[in-house]
Amino acid sequence: MTAHLARRKTMLAVAAFLVLVAAYPFVVPGNYPLGIGITAGAMAAGTVGFVLLFGYAQQLALGQAGFCMVGGYANAILCVRYHWDPFVALVAGAALAMLVAYVIATPILKLRGFVLAMASLAMHFILIVAALQVPLTGGALGTYGLPKFAIFGASLSNDLAYYYVVWLIVLLAVAIGLNIDRSRIGRALKAIAVSEMAAGSVGIDIAKYKVQMFVVSAGMASVSGSLTVHFLRAMDPEVFGFAYSLNIITSVIVGGLMSIWGGAMGAAIVTGLREALRGLSLPLWESVIMGALTVVVLIAFPRGPAGFLSGLFDRLTGERGPKRALGVQPVPAALKPLVDPPPAGTPILEVGGACRSFGSLRAVNDVSFTVEAGSITTLIGPNGAGKTTMFNLVGGYQPLDRGRVSFLGRPIAALMPQEIALLGIGRTFQNLQLFDNMTVLDNVMCGRHRLTASGILDISLRLPRVGREEAATRAAARDCLRFVGLEGAETMMTSALSFGHQRLVEIARALALEPKLLLMDEPASGLNDTETERLAELILRISALGVSVLLVEHDMRLVMGLADHVVVMHHGVKIADGPPDLVRADPEVIAAYLGQEVHERVA
Amino acid sequence: MDFLVFVQLLLPGITTGCVYALVALGFVLCANVSGVVNFAQGEYVMLGGMVGASLVDLHVPLALAIVGAALAGALLGAAQERLTLAPVRRSPPFIQITITLGVAVVIRGIALIAFGKDPLSMPGFAGDGTVDILGAVLPVQTLFVWGATALLLALMFRFLKHSDTGRAVRACSINLQAARLMGVDTERLTLVVFSVAGGIGALAGVVITPIVLASWDAGVAYGLKGFVGAILGGFRSPTIAVAGGLFIGLLEAFSAGYVSSGWKDAIVYGVLLAYLLVRGGVFIYGRASLIFSSH
Repeated sequence: MTAHLARRKTMLAVAAFLVLVAAYPFVVPGNYPLGIGITAGAMAAGTVGFVLLFGYAQQLALGQAGFCMVGGYANAILCVRYHWDPFVALVAGAALAMLVAYVIATPILKLRGFVLAMASLAMHFILIVAALQVPLTGGALGTYGLPKFAIFGASLSNDLAYYYVVWLIVLLAVAIGLNIDRSRIGRALKAIAVSEMAAGSVGIDIAKYKVQMFVVSAGMASVSGSLTVHFLRAMDPEVFGFAYSLNIITSVIVGGLMSIWGGAMGAAIVTGLREALRGLSLPLWESVIMGALTVVVLIAFPRGPAGFLSGLFDRLTGERGPKRALGVQPVPAALKPLVDPPPAGTPILEVGGACRSFGSLRAVNDVSFTVEAGSITTLIGPNGAGKTTMFNLVGGYQPLDRGRVSFLGRPIAALMPQEIALLGIGRTFQNLQLFDNMTVLDNVMCGRHRLTASGILDISLRLPRVGREEAATRAAARDCLRFVGLEGAETMMTSALSFGHQRLVEIARALALEPKLLLMDEPASGLNDTETERLAELILRISALGVSVLLVEHDMRLVMGLADHVVVMHHGVKIADGPPDLVRADPEVIAAYLGQEVHERVA
Repeated sequence: MDFLVFVQLLLPGITTGCVYALVALGFVLCANVSGVVNFAQGEYVMLGGMVGASLVDLHVPLALAIVGAALAGALLGAAQERLTLAPVRRSPPFIQITITLGVAVVIRGIALIAFGKDPLSMPGFAGDGTVDILGAVLPVQTLFVWGATALLLALMFRFLKHSDTGRAVRACSINLQAARLMGVDTERLTLVVFSVAGGIGALAGVVITPIVLASWDAGVAYGLKGFVGAILGGFRSPTIAVAGGLFIGLLEAFSAGYVSSGWKDAIVYGVLLAYLLVRGGVFIYGRASLIFSSH
């Protein structure tokens, strides 16, 4: 989607939001409906944050209401006992919740699986027990007599005014959410959701952004708790129980997992539904209906109503990406060469005595070789020779049993894939690992991740420098697309491209991180002859930029035409190493590998 | 330390620990084969107790009531898998897991409507007498809980060790991907383990009900504490999961006895949180070996 259309879509959504919020108290007059409006708004402030955690970071936190408790008690205690200004207490509660979230999530998100879900529930239950046991909170009876909400002494005695303030805060939360969505962090989260491997290959720190979303969502949940208790004027351990966490989850699911606006819509829908059930004197059915709603929506409409509306907007404006097939690109554009390539001929990558076994299988056994700066080095060998394993060892995807790998003299064997990417090593995958939930341009922009620096705070506030960085990133990504010959495909979804073009997107993404060394795992697999020829040409042009290339390849024509240096592996062992002509003549290589090829051709 | 107090805490601790152990076993079995953590696991315990108590209340003979409860659990487990998980097998794992959470909420809601807010009671299998063990006075039902747990565990481990299906389950727990590639029919196996886990959970629920009553909202705590047991075992080994469940039962009983019953849940969950923080903290400095690789 073009930036222009995205902006129009947002303006339309904001206008619809403002009209709905402004009109509600007049369309449905009365204190009771106004109370529902406030309850829904207070909840929405939290559900918007939960979209970021659940939809974007894919972390199902079962105890999100625990952070609402933090906000609720912060206000109950600070305002009633210490007579703080409610707004200051709201901010203090949010800060506390974010701190707790940070302390919990930082270690726990290093673990994979669904550990955070239970950790957050455990935290919530501990808070409930503490609230019951500690005198400060007022125990089971809770704390009464909270003041009405006030900002720096200006009290909002009028419920209608409070209603508007609450929904303005929701709008603020939505703005923060949208800012994150349209930033390098939003792209990083979407990338992680599709392929952690590929996200690592462009230098995205997977745990970091999940932690950040946990912290942001905790702050918003705390604000939501504060807003709720200033309306209830009381806080006790029952207000934010497990059921409240479930309602937050249901809201986000109903609103659409990846939809920031949907988070607010979901809160309104769920609150309205609960009130309707109460009105029909069916409160016992609440749990059945909420649960069933969750299951049915997840199975049948995973994008939710906001996703549906967004899709409708795209259809009406014809924004589904260009329908025309992508023609052959005329003359591919040039790309800025590498600024400070290491001097040609010096070793850029050194592998020494690398070993890796799987059980009793020695996939890589004492392999050593060097990639010289500026060269195209290829790793060849028959199936099962250990090439891909070797490649994964270099990229940090598997740990070495023994041996060393160094990049520009620096040992990298102990580093994680994203740390290796940060050093300036790009890679492509044999089985394409594109982020198929993003446009072609966004995919390539992900590649710039290591070269951009905007942090979560700058992004949430959308400071001007974030916009500048974003524009520069977009321009650089366009250059990369032009370089591989994909100009015009920017707004297409990657799934709409042919396999060959998808491969080019992956190469563009790897180039976008301005690598000193590019690792390519069988880039010609699945390509037809013409495409392979164009690929060879592209690799030569990449090399001409000063980028060193290490290639694993099956396609012998490609290898022999391109390589400056060939390393041959067989049964996990290196059997030859040298310029292509010499390797081709090596009897052991012929026996192991080329021999088969020759034999097949004769037959 | 007073030995009698210790025994008075230890033995009931083992009893609740038995239930957590069986829940933990169910968690591990389902997670290993399907890659899905089934948040509805605790609800089967609740359901077993509810169905068993209601059947006895309707003058159904005890043995039939027990079988009925177990069958209800197994059938519901199968239905959950077929209706809510099979259609989304290709969805990301967090979606599938959230669906199990929704199912748990539905089961709990239906239990509330069908069986009412008040807890149901059920007579002990051999009357409501007491028995004296090492000086501690316990309900006779305790022996049934221990016996049933021992029997179920023995059967399960025999099944895992010696039957083809059991071997396939173990293969999945070592490497799900490889098991699939080797022709293990994970589709059928998933159905089997969800039924088995549902049945085991319901049986645990029916044997514990004479001691603790059955309540519509008890499932969350059973599930969470069983989960804590499973996680202490790294979510992989059924044996350690069972041991973890027993450990949680004991921890809970001793916290209630020696610290305060008000804080016991906080202590159990605190141990979970501390364990995860330490376990995660260790990996900050090491190369992350991915222990809970459910996907």
